Amino acid sequence: MTTSTTVTIAASMRGGTKDYGSGDAAVRALDGLDVDIAQSEFTAIMGPSGSGKSTLLHTLAGLDRLTAGESWIGETQITGLSEDKITQVRRDKIGFVFQAFNLIPSLSARENITLPLDIAGRDIDPAWFEEIISILGLGDRLTHLPAELSGGQQQRVAVARALVARPELIFADEPSGNLDSRSGAELLGFMRRAVKEFGQTIVMVTHDPTAASYSDRVLFLADGRIVDEMREPTADRVLDRMKQMGH
Amino acid sequence: MFRLAARSVQHNPKRLLLTAFAVALGVGLIAATHIFTDSLDRGFTRLFGEIYDGVDVIVEPVTSDGDVGDPTSGDSVGKDLDDAVVQTARSTAGVELAMGSTEAVGALIGTDGETLAGGSGFGPPTLFFNWTGVEDFDSATIVDGRAPEGDDEIVVDVGTAEAHGLTVGDQVVAGGADGTYPSTVVGTASWGDGNNTQGATLVWASLDRVRELRGGGDGWSVVHVRVDDGADAEAVAVAIDDRLPDGVRALTGAAKAEEQAASLGEALKAVDVFTLAFAFVALFVGAYIIANTFRIIVTQRTREFGLMRAVGVKGQQVRTMVLAEALLIGLVASVLGILLGYALAGGIIGLLKALGPGESFAVPIIPLDAVAWGFAVGIVVTVASALLPAIHASRISPMEAMRDAATQNRRGLRMRNIVGGALALAGAGLTTVGLYAGLERPYVYVGAGAVLLVLGVTLLAAQLLVPLAYGMRDLLARVWRVDGRLAANNIHREPRRSANTAAALMIGVMLLALTATVTQTVKSVAADAIGGQFTADLMVVSTTVPGSADDAVVADLASVPDVRTVTRSASLDARVDGVLVPVTVLDTATAEEAIAYETEPAFAEIDGGVFVSPSAIEAGAEVGDTVTLVGEDGEVTLEVTGEYPTSGDGDYFVDFAQAERLGTTIDVWQYSIVAAPGADVDHVRADLEDLVATDYPLLTVQSPDDMLALANQLIDLMLAVITALLSGALVIAMLGVANTLLLSVTERTREIGLLRAVGARRRSVRRMIRIESVVMSVFGAVLGIVLGVALGVALIRALEEFGFETVTIPWVLLGVYTVLAILAGIVAAWWPARKAAKLDVLEAIAFDG
Ligand SMILES: Nc1ncnc2c1ncn2[C@@H]1O[C@H](COP(=O)(O)OP(=O)(O)O)[C@@H](O)[C@H]1O
Ligand SMILES: [Mg+2]
Repeated sequence: MTTSTTVTIAASMRGGTKDYGSGDAAVRALDGLDVDIAQSEFTAIMGPSGSGKSTLLHTLAGLDRLTAGESWIGETQITGLSEDKITQVRRDKIGFVFQAFNLIPSLSARENITLPLDIAGRDIDPAWFEEIISILGLGDRLTHLPAELSGGQQQRVAVARALVARPELIFADEPSGNLDSRSGAELLGFMRRAVKEFGQTIVMVTHDPTAASYSDRVLFLADGRIVDEMREPTADRVLDRMKQMGH
Repeated sequence: MFRLAARSVQHNPKRLLLTAFAVALGVGLIAATHIFTDSLDRGFTRLFGEIYDGVDVIVEPVTSDGDVGDPTSGDSVGKDLDDAVVQTARSTAGVELAMGSTEAVGALIGTDGETLAGGSGFGPPTLFFNWTGVEDFDSATIVDGRAPEGDDEIVVDVGTAEAHGLTVGDQVVAGGADGTYPSTVVGTASWGDGNNTQGATLVWASLDRVRELRGGGDGWSVVHVRVDDGADAEAVAVAIDDRLPDGVRALTGAAKAEEQAASLGEALKAVDVFTLAFAFVALFVGAYIIANTFRIIVTQRTREFGLMRAVGVKGQQVRTMVLAEALLIGLVASVLGILLGYALAGGIIGLLKALGPGESFAVPIIPLDAVAWGFAVGIVVTVASALLPAIHASRISPMEAMRDAATQNRRGLRMRNIVGGALALAGAGLTTVGLYAGLERPYVYVGAGAVLLVLGVTLLAAQLLVPLAYGMRDLLARVWRVDGRLAANNIHREPRRSANTAAALMIGVMLLALTATVTQTVKSVAADAIGGQFTADLMVVSTTVPGSADDAVVADLASVPDVRTVTRSASLDARVDGVLVPVTVLDTATAEEAIAYETEPAFAEIDGGVFVSPSAIEAGAEVGDTVTLVGEDGEVTLEVTGEYPTSGDGDYFVDFAQAERLGTTIDVWQYSIVAAPGADVDHVRADLEDLVATDYPLLTVQSPDDMLALANQLIDLMLAVITALLSGALVIAMLGVANTLLLSVTERTREIGLLRAVGARRRSVRRMIRIESVVMSVFGAVLGIVLGVALGVALIRALEEFGFETVTIPWVLLGVYTVLAILAGIVAAWWPARKAAKLDVLEAIAFDG
């Protein structure tokens, strides 16, 4: 590994193992996996379907529990924490962007964006809010309900929601998976800007080499293990690597 | 289609369980009512059969209408049969034995003056019979000791003996209307097989003693006949009847038993109608729940139905499928309801048996009419409620299959508002007509109007209530932040659903508020009447049998030191133009001193004439006219000399001199006592109590405050009974809130998962559901309170002529109902909130709604 010594670790996992089911039907989704996520970096996780990408993301984010191993968010070890404590960590330190159904249908775009702050009872930083809104181009959509927004706009609202609380980490699972290529490119561009301009840390799961090319570092997953990684990826290089993996 | 429907029910049994339960509760109330009265009916039929088992023919007095009086109180028409009737019966061919029997209502008093049974106070009567020595006629067998022989010997029934610890040789006092008689208990007897007296106290004494207790006379209450061996009782009854004078009849014991059972059946029918009315309220509320559930289910399955339509299923088939599902639920609910009703009736009967007064109940079975009604009502209500949602489902286009649930087009509320407004207006109109137009059977209009009004308001509630709740969004958001805001949003999101849910609660609370308003007003009117009108210091009243118009009682009461005036209030029935009317009889000279009547002029100026009430005026009487009152044995033509201001206290008012000319029994029910100025009323009361305890055990002394307390107690009891009967509807409404929330939690699974993912704690999710529930409940309750109080006020206004001049709003009770609604909301949210909080975050996010 060629990580520089000044890098701070935003999240990490040691010996991460996740089994689903038991006996003959048991599936090992993560198999003693070690990973470090560097701060202010855009990390992409790639791999064939069923390789454990989503599982890794969920366990790292504290949405799901490891069967064995340990994981940290910043300095906080989350394996072994109570459900309420983990919820609090998610609330205070993590933002999410899912593939779809990211928004509460009954809340306006603005209310959806401020939802994590509202839940935590924290005040909104108006300047920061304005900045995010203008970067994401949502200024004239704030009073709209999700149903009145296009798919791309909905995902941008989700990204704004993830950014607004200034979380230590944002986890995104196929954020552009449901978008046409132009909206997808726009969204990924915004995410990259957030990393470059604000030092935001983002971990993104994707199976799309083009999406992965927006990241700083790509981790390749196969059968619950990290089999390779690539820095400064391009779409072609990622595609080649995936072909090698038999994808 | 049925297979598909069954599959759908199977697939989601929990979803429909609450729904079925909502109908089952209403069906249960109906079934329980039938099972309960059936058991009572069979029990009494058996009992009457037992009583008249050994009596072949009965000869008894009847009124000119053929009325035999109240069969359950042992009270006949009050007219005695003379010896000639006994002779007539005895001399009829085929009669083996004919004996007169006399009964009296009285009291049993301990030697210390403490009343053991009967006398002052309400409850089952104490009945004295003469011992005939013929077991079939006495319907009694000696258990301990022997039959009464001397006039101062009595036999009491075994139940009474046990209740008061009486044994052979004990000294007691027998009390009648006009006096008291020291007696010795010489035996105990069992009445019929099981001494099943319904709580009444039975005493057997000598013929002379019973006649004395009756207040004199030498007649008979009834004549019992036994026919010769082999003679046909029916033929003998006809033969005797032919020879009897007018006003007396003969019939077989079997016919008499049947008649009594039938007349009890009539009385039970009234009970039936009363409780069934509440069962239908419960079902009406249940119908809302069903309709709402199906509406939600249809919405949730829009994509599924769209897909079906896309692959070629006809809209009509979709409708049939939904209705088939409703039919299935209706069936399940009916079975559940009938069993529930059986458990409920059985439980109440068991409880009554354990507490004492349940001895007459036969073993409860499920009668056919309970089954028929249960199924009919359960299925009809369920299927009818599902009709609109089913039609809605049949109109889902194949395109809906492709659309995202969040982008489904919402129908506007305009049509709903128009229909709702029209219904509410029509309902209000009908109610007004019913209350004020003076049509026949006004309750039909009022009832139909109220139903329309409720339906209309329910429809309008989507427009009225939901925006109101939504208007509270900022307030809720300020207090509970996101939880409050999301709760308000959820109510707002499906206005129809929220409105229907709240409306179910509204109906129950409306009826509660209506009852509370009316009873509270009755209470304050009674307080005004008793507190303001009764200027008398004390009242001597008879609580069991009315006193006779005997002057001796008045003289005795007046002889108590410091008693200034004694005023009798009495009543009788007479005919005016052939119609039986209630007549009030007063000591008019002193009436004004005892009671502040607002007559025009004062009663003292009645001048041997008659005063008339508004209802008599309506019937055509006018001051200056003459009115002819026809009694049993005489008639008087009187000038109308004044007016009585309200209805309900009797139509005509006369003095005793005129009343006595009618030859009709005058029932004196109250002696109003005015004490001398400056006298100590407590002293007077003590003296009066001593007097009645020894001489008039059937009278009791009360102050106006005592009467008020008693009136309040009765009113509170009524309120409690109605509240208990309405609780079924309220429980169903709560189930409705719970059901709506459960379904909407399912619908919002992904959303709740998302909330949890971005940091909402379980507690917070629970609170969100709870706020939603409480807001819906409170709005339903408040709407119900507003409607109920409005209807109550309208009703009271319509009863103005009965003296209901001011309306009392029961603020305290309304406050209690609101607090209860909040609690109901919290309870109803328990399961849905738990379900929502327990959702696994990842599964919820992945959930395919
Ligand atoms: N809830 C679950 N229950 C059982 N097996 C699961 C579950 N979630 C994931 N798996 C299994 O774990 C493995 C990894 O799944 P996942 O992390 O979703 O892969 P990816 O996101 O890379 O497609 C797969 O074999 C999948 O079938
Ligand atoms: Mg995945």
